[in-house]
Amino acid sequence: MTDAAEPAILVRGLTKRYGSLTAVDGLELQVAAGETLALLGPNGAGKTTTVECCEGYRVPDAGTVRVLGLDPRRDARRLRPRVGLMLQEGGVYPMARPQEVLRLFAAFHADPLDPDELLERVGLSDTRRTRFRDLSGGQKQRLSLALALVGRPEVVFLDEPTAGLDPAARRRTWEHIGELRAAGVTVVLTTHLLDEAEQLADRVAIMDRGQLVALGTPDELTHGQRARLSFTAQPDLDLADLAAAVGARVEQPRPGRYVVHAANDPQLVARLTAWLASHDVELGELQAGKRSLEEVFLRLTAEEDRT
Amino acid sequence: MKPLIAPEELPTTGRPHWRALRVVRNEVAEELRAVLRDPTTLFFSAAMPVGFFALFVGLWGAETDGVVTVGTAMLATFGTFGVVGVCLLTPGIGIAEDRDRGWLRVKRVSATPLPVTLAAKVLAAVPHALVVLLAMTAISAATGTLHLDAVVWARLMGALLIGGVPFALVGLTVGLLTSPNGATAVLMALFIPSAVASGLWMPLEMLPDGVQQVAPWLPTYHLAQLALAQMDGRVGLDHVVALLTFAALGAGAATLAYRHAR
Repeated sequence: MTDAAEPAILVRGLTKRYGSLTAVDGLELQVAAGETLALLGPNGAGKTTTVECCEGYRVPDAGTVRVLGLDPRRDARRLRPRVGLMLQEGGVYPMARPQEVLRLFAAFHADPLDPDELLERVGLSDTRRTRFRDLSGGQKQRLSLALALVGRPEVVFLDEPTAGLDPAARRRTWEHIGELRAAGVTVVLTTHLLDEAEQLADRVAIMDRGQLVALGTPDELTHGQRARLSFTAQPDLDLADLAAAVGARVEQPRPGRYVVHAANDPQLVARLTAWLASHDVELGELQAGKRSLEEVFLRLTAEEDRT
Repeated sequence: MKPLIAPEELPTTGRPHWRALRVVRNEVAEELRAVLRDPTTLFFSAAMPVGFFALFVGLWGAETDGVVTVGTAMLATFGTFGVVGVCLLTPGIGIAEDRDRGWLRVKRVSATPLPVTLAAKVLAAVPHALVVLLAMTAISAATGTLHLDAVVWARLMGALLIGGVPFALVGLTVGLLTSPNGATAVLMALFIPSAVASGLWMPLEMLPDGVQQVAPWLPTYHLAQLALAQMDGRVGLDHVVALLTFAALGAGAATLAYRHAR
């Protein structure tokens, strides 16, 4: 395993262009050993290219990438046995069977996990001899995960690990990823799913147009500096009267949703609920001080659109 | 249920290197399994050339050119057709499909260097082609048109199988650069005209003068002539040189394609 003080992944000034398109633009990023990092971003944000540069699959045009202290291209032979990659659906030959494919991958490694036991752990022991094309989406994803893990990697890259899965299969994959985190494996996952990032990641990196636009724990990102309080209630409340009562500006961005622009504190909440009670207004939802990750994501990517 | 991976299962020291021979053996076995499970590949790479061979041997196999029966000579020419078909199409279309599915990306960042996987694809074509040649031999023997002693037959098989390898490099090159459908189209466009123009289906003397002039520039012609030379007891050095040149070009093209493949 890596020295805990040394980042598992270090990205400095990473730039990657495809013709005139700059897919990644001077990216700076560190992932600590044992950390789970979610790379979030809209399509074309540069997430996949970043991961591909970390895997050594693509050559950066500028900047440096180190994974476990090694250059993914120059030190590929030493690095690759220590890294696992899970692609969506894994690219497996449709007629191949999970047991065969996993045994083949196990043979790539000097000291792999036992393939049959791993199949059992990911819940595929009953389908070990089923052709890949006949597996369900969730089973294919779990086989891809097993392929990424059979070499006992220290760093795992997961490319949209739950894309297209039903809620039960998604929950199961989340449990597996949680187990990786508990075992101390460094995990980098790309996802479009904000709840997935919030649920799984120690830190979330939001990318847009090749640049890092936010980085932090889900709590840090959702709290932010601009604390506020939002709630839902019947539409068209008397905003001037409410603002006077709570001592802060109040907006109704859309019917029935209100935002109070003030630092969140217990007195503010008390004044608000007192006003609602005195006007016989039923409170719908109350969100105090914390924005959802979705709000953060949309605000950041929208800000990028404006610039 | 046990957790997916436990902390004590993570490595604590550096890893020893993978074992190349074990990996190649497994990869070759995987390739052959894939061929056996794909009826389309089996049809085009095995059933079709063997079927053509059976048809032509049945029609003209008993005739003789004064040296060997036509049926025996066809083992060289149709054998070339069968071997080149396997070597060009199977690894080429296979690697294009791997790329299309994303499997090549997985392999490229896996613990085994990708060239080992590619070499396995080439090597897997050899036993596959051998099965085609054995089927042709069996048909030739069954129709009473096989007149070769065991040593000559073994030389013929060796020449065809080793001479088929450069074609697998060309197949890989095309497969590394094109889509699965594109690879099939390009490789068939190379294969069928070359086979006809090299006299693999019918004697060159029966073809127009223009085609006869083109033939010596085709590697399929040199492989067929090298195979025929084994029956005459000749070395066929000029054909060996031509095939070695072709192999060097194929290796260079495959290397360039490998570097550019995504």
